[in-house]
Amino acid sequence: MAIRTIRIMGDEILEKKCREVKEMTPRIQELIRDMLDTMYEAGGVGLAAPQVGVLKRIVVIDTDGTAHVLINPEIIEQSGSQTGQEGCLSLPGKCGMVTRPNKVRVRAFDENMEPFELEGEALLARAICHECEHLDGVMYVEHVEGDLMDVESDLEEE
Amino acid sequence: MIKTINIREIILEILMQITEEEEYSHIVIRNVLEKYQFLEKRDRAFISRVCAGTVENMIMIDYMIEQFSKVKVVNMKPIIRNLLRMSVYQLRFMDTIPDSAVCNEAVKIAQKRGFYNLKGFVNGVLRNMARGMDTIIYPTPEKDPISYLSVIYSMPEWIVRKWVAQFGFDQVEAICQSFQKERMTSIRCNLDKASKKEVIDSLEEQGITVRENPYLNYALEIGNYNYMKAINAFKKGYFQVQDVSSMLVAEVAAPKWGDYCIDVCAAPGGKSLHLADKLCGSGFVEARDVTESKVRLMEENIDRIDVINMKAVVADATVFDPESVEKADILLADLPCSGLGVIGKKPDIKYKMTPIKQQELVKLQRKILDTVYRYVKVGGTLIYSTCTIGADENQFNVKWFLENYPFRLESIDPYLCDELKGKTTKAGYLQLLPGIHQSDGFFLAKFKRIQ
Repeated sequence: MAIRTIRIMGDEILEKKCREVKEMTPRIQELIRDMLDTMYEAGGVGLAAPQVGVLKRIVVIDTDGTAHVLINPEIIEQSGSQTGQEGCLSLPGKCGMVTRPNKVRVRAFDENMEPFELEGEALLARAICHECEHLDGVMYVEHVEGDLMDVESDLEEE
Repeated sequence: MIKTINIREIILEILMQITEEEEYSHIVIRNVLEKYQFLEKRDRAFISRVCAGTVENMIMIDYMIEQFSKVKVVNMKPIIRNLLRMSVYQLRFMDTIPDSAVCNEAVKIAQKRGFYNLKGFVNGVLRNMARGMDTIIYPTPEKDPISYLSVIYSMPEWIVRKWVAQFGFDQVEAICQSFQKERMTSIRCNLDKASKKEVIDSLEEQGITVRENPYLNYALEIGNYNYMKAINAFKKGYFQVQDVSSMLVAEVAAPKWGDYCIDVCAAPGGKSLHLADKLCGSGFVEARDVTESKVRLMEENIDRIDVINMKAVVADATVFDPESVEKADILLADLPCSGLGVIGKKPDIKYKMTPIKQQELVKLQRKILDTVYRYVKVGGTLIYSTCTIGADENQFNVKWFLENYPFRLESIDPYLCDELKGKTTKAGYLQLLPGIHQSDGFFLAKFKRIQ
């Protein structure tokens, strides 16, 4: 288990387009394991490879206790809409209102490079959209409606 | 991505919509829970409980807040006032949440919503309240009965005042208490489809608690179920959800084989379906309503129960329909009303209704009666009913109608059980009071057209 350093907004790597994964290698397997560890450690529900400094099209998501690993993901269907608060591990302490599709279907490869499809609703749909955008160098702040807000910080007793 | 949903902020949003934008609490809560389907069951239950509880007890909560705040609740910023209300509800009614957690969460939200300068105020009011909860002095029944009823049961003073004048303190207190009690769901067996025993057996098979209703032998009360649409007997059309008070309408109307019935404001259709059931497939029931979506819902019910002698149609009761003149053996006029009899089920009603709105409703009720009385055959029956409590929309309308139209009251005693019989039922009308009677608040009067 290894926790990698999460890149913070302003780091140019978060603005770059990631490359497709051609084949599974032991290094990529290790990367995926580390990404999951890093996500859980940081209390996130999703993490994309560029957030740990690797320009590969890989994301991990866990919104409800089930971990999903998506390699070369591609959203093929989307419908409905949901508006709600979103935050990102690469911009700690902030959040903002973002409208996303309520339902998406994504095609991707798993850790064995087998193709599969995943359908997500509500929070899972939001996470899929959010993470896939990281692979094209896009942060959620580009979609925020209104102002970015501060996530609650622990307050000193008065 | 990080999950940033704060349950208490969702609650605050819901309360803002209910109190500041005047939306109905059960609709707002349902919509929000639908949007946040991924939340855990525990969180969803917390949201519903705090929202519903805060709305139900709002007058008492505001009274409590004003014991600790120099600023009146009405003068506070809407966000702050609702933040305090939901926090006070948790302090007062939810023992499992530590007071410090309630205060801290409220302060965080105040800060996050841009009220950095009011942090101290929110913190001060809530902490003093948490400490001084037991020292609050409430109005007493001896010194100030109106304020006592209003604050303790969160009923607006104008309603309490009217009711006390008509029914006296004790009865009003019993009514208010009953609104806060959890009641079982009242259902009507469709005797045309299944016997009472078949309905009971089917319900009990699914582990549902069933009790007989004291007023009508085909009425039952059920409890301990999760979701109405999952009940087999419901799917099969064995029963209809309907308060027993509303069942009395068709009971008192007492249709004869082949009667033609018009229900001028029928939605959601319970009384019409009941008439159709009593006609055993004979005659006809025309269920009218002004709202298209409600007519569609009635059609769904007609299909589910498979009724052949009833039709739902879109029609505005205030518009005269020459085709209907002297056509009806029975006419139901269950008219739009203030709904004060069903506050137990829809607590928002007590805050949304005002004396001015009530007077407008009386005007509307009279306008409809003035339009529809002509549809009744000479010798035919008109049943006037409302789900409200109080003379303005009930007894005063009866008096006005008798003075101006060719109708007389007819005794309803032959159709009632002994518990419900009294002076007024012999005359031809009945005011049901929750807490006194085992039903919603309801009024009905039976008229016969004499010329």
